Amino acid sequence: MKDKIKLALGQISCKRGDKKENIKKMEEVTNKAKKQGADLIIFPELSLTGYVVRDQIYELAETIPGPSVKAIEGIARKVNAYIIFGMPELSEKTKATLYNAAVLVGPEGFIGKYRKMYLPTHSVFEEKRYFRAGYHATAFETKIGKIGLIVCYDIFFPEVSRLTRLKGAQLIVCISASPAVRRAFFEALTVARAIENTAFLAYVNLVGIEDGLQFWGGSRLVGPNGKVLAQAKYDEEDIVMCDVDYADIKPVETFVPTLRDLRPELFDELKKHAENL
Amino acid sequence: MRMHHLELKPSILNLDFQEVEIKIKRFIKDYVEKSKVKGIVLGLSGGIDSSTAAALSALAIGGDKVLGLILPEKETYNAKDVKHAKLVAKKFGCKTKTIDITSTLETFYKSIPEFDPTDKVCKGNIKARTRMIYIYYFANRLNMLVCGSSDKSETMMGYFTKWGDVAADISPIMDLYKTQVQKLAQHIGIPKEILTKPPSPALWPGQLAETELGIKYETLDLILYGLEHFMETKEIAKQLDIEKELVESIKRRWLSMEHKRRMLLTPKLEYRTVGADFRLPRNFH
Repeated sequence: MKDKIKLALGQISCKRGDKKENIKKMEEVTNKAKKQGADLIIFPELSLTGYVVRDQIYELAETIPGPSVKAIEGIARKVNAYIIFGMPELSEKTKATLYNAAVLVGPEGFIGKYRKMYLPTHSVFEEKRYFRAGYHATAFETKIGKIGLIVCYDIFFPEVSRLTRLKGAQLIVCISASPAVRRAFFEALTVARAIENTAFLAYVNLVGIEDGLQFWGGSRLVGPNGKVLAQAKYDEEDIVMCDVDYADIKPVETFVPTLRDLRPELFDELKKHAENL
Repeated sequence: MRMHHLELKPSILNLDFQEVEIKIKRFIKDYVEKSKVKGIVLGLSGGIDSSTAAALSALAIGGDKVLGLILPEKETYNAKDVKHAKLVAKKFGCKTKTIDITSTLETFYKSIPEFDPTDKVCKGNIKARTRMIYIYYFANRLNMLVCGSSDKSETMMGYFTKWGDVAADISPIMDLYKTQVQKLAQHIGIPKEILTKPPSPALWPGQLAETELGIKYETLDLILYGLEHFMETKEIAKQLDIEKELVESIKRRWLSMEHKRRMLLTPKLEYRTVGADFRLPRNFH
């Protein structure tokens, strides 16, 4: 496993409903990033289709793996890099049960997927109308480190990131489609999740305007000490290269040993009270 | 956006208007580009809302791509309003066309059997809808979008003509209360004489928005802001030191006007229904 890796925060806008066009854009960005040495290129939540596709999502969703994943696997193989992106997943066992998924592919092909656990259905969001929530947090062992995946609103719930960390993730990747009025929350939470887990956290947000929602971008890499190591522009497309040095985790974990100090017995209590809110 | 315990004082309506300007301009430019149209048409009344919408359109896509239609008619003709409309157009480089719609209106009135000239609301609505037809004619003819000028206060109150002044392809200032539009207008440099003029839909002579609504915008906006934030009428009345009945009447009016904001109600009969569970993106860009 590599100790040091180079990430590209692929902050793009999407053409809604046009998977071909979005794959093409991901390929262009991947090629560009690879030329600058990227080991991993990350794209936003639902970057395959765009975020506001509403009922069209039933036409756009695909199984994972499936044709679009295959196409992006091809790009990863060709450039010898890892790619994370978002797409609506059609469950293999059903005809119209969907998940909001994050997908990880690499030079070795399809590696894994994560199904978003917390689906915002309030204010302008209507995700529960379309998606079933996932049940499993995941951390994937790769040549570029152990990577945990979360999606957007999951970041408001520390247990999702925590679970990926407890499963070994050193780099938590949060792909997102967050509109402008929520920026302050994400800027605080990305830092918090990194610190409390002593892990790197890469946040990649969408840009562009979809049905009046202005996605604010501001993708970033946060170090295990909470320092913002790289930050993309607000509101416009941007590709930002940044470095992850896993050796940085040890000194922080020694200084703020949040994992050593975990109290598992509190989780039972949490469960009990959460059930009786 | 505030989410703490609300204190309904005027400053609660403050926004970072530089940021608001940027967001609205980006929204307009993005929508025009993706729609692949040649520009924007809008009605210019000389009032603050349409002046602001025109100015923002011009700042977003260039004044040469913005056509302001000045559509006066005899009954409510006010030379000052026409002057103000032209002033804004000139300042922001918009093109204008002035068309007197009096003869159209008169023909229209005459053609209606049992037309009642004393019913000023029905008659006034004809004016707003006639203007809409002119505006859409040019949008259609020139391959442009119609930009609406409705603000949040009048939209929440249903204080507009259904299919009339509210008809548009985009409504860039509809999420701003009137007093916020006033501040935004000032921020982007709308001439002072327009800022200080009392708002009027000008559907009949002497019509004034605040008289007709029965409340000053400064108070109305705070009430509406409270309602938007799920405040109870009792609490709003207490904080603003006004009658609870007044707040309740505003709330009733806001709720009863939803039919003017949501279009095309139909009984649910089939699998997916327009306006109910046909949930589609507005466009695919």
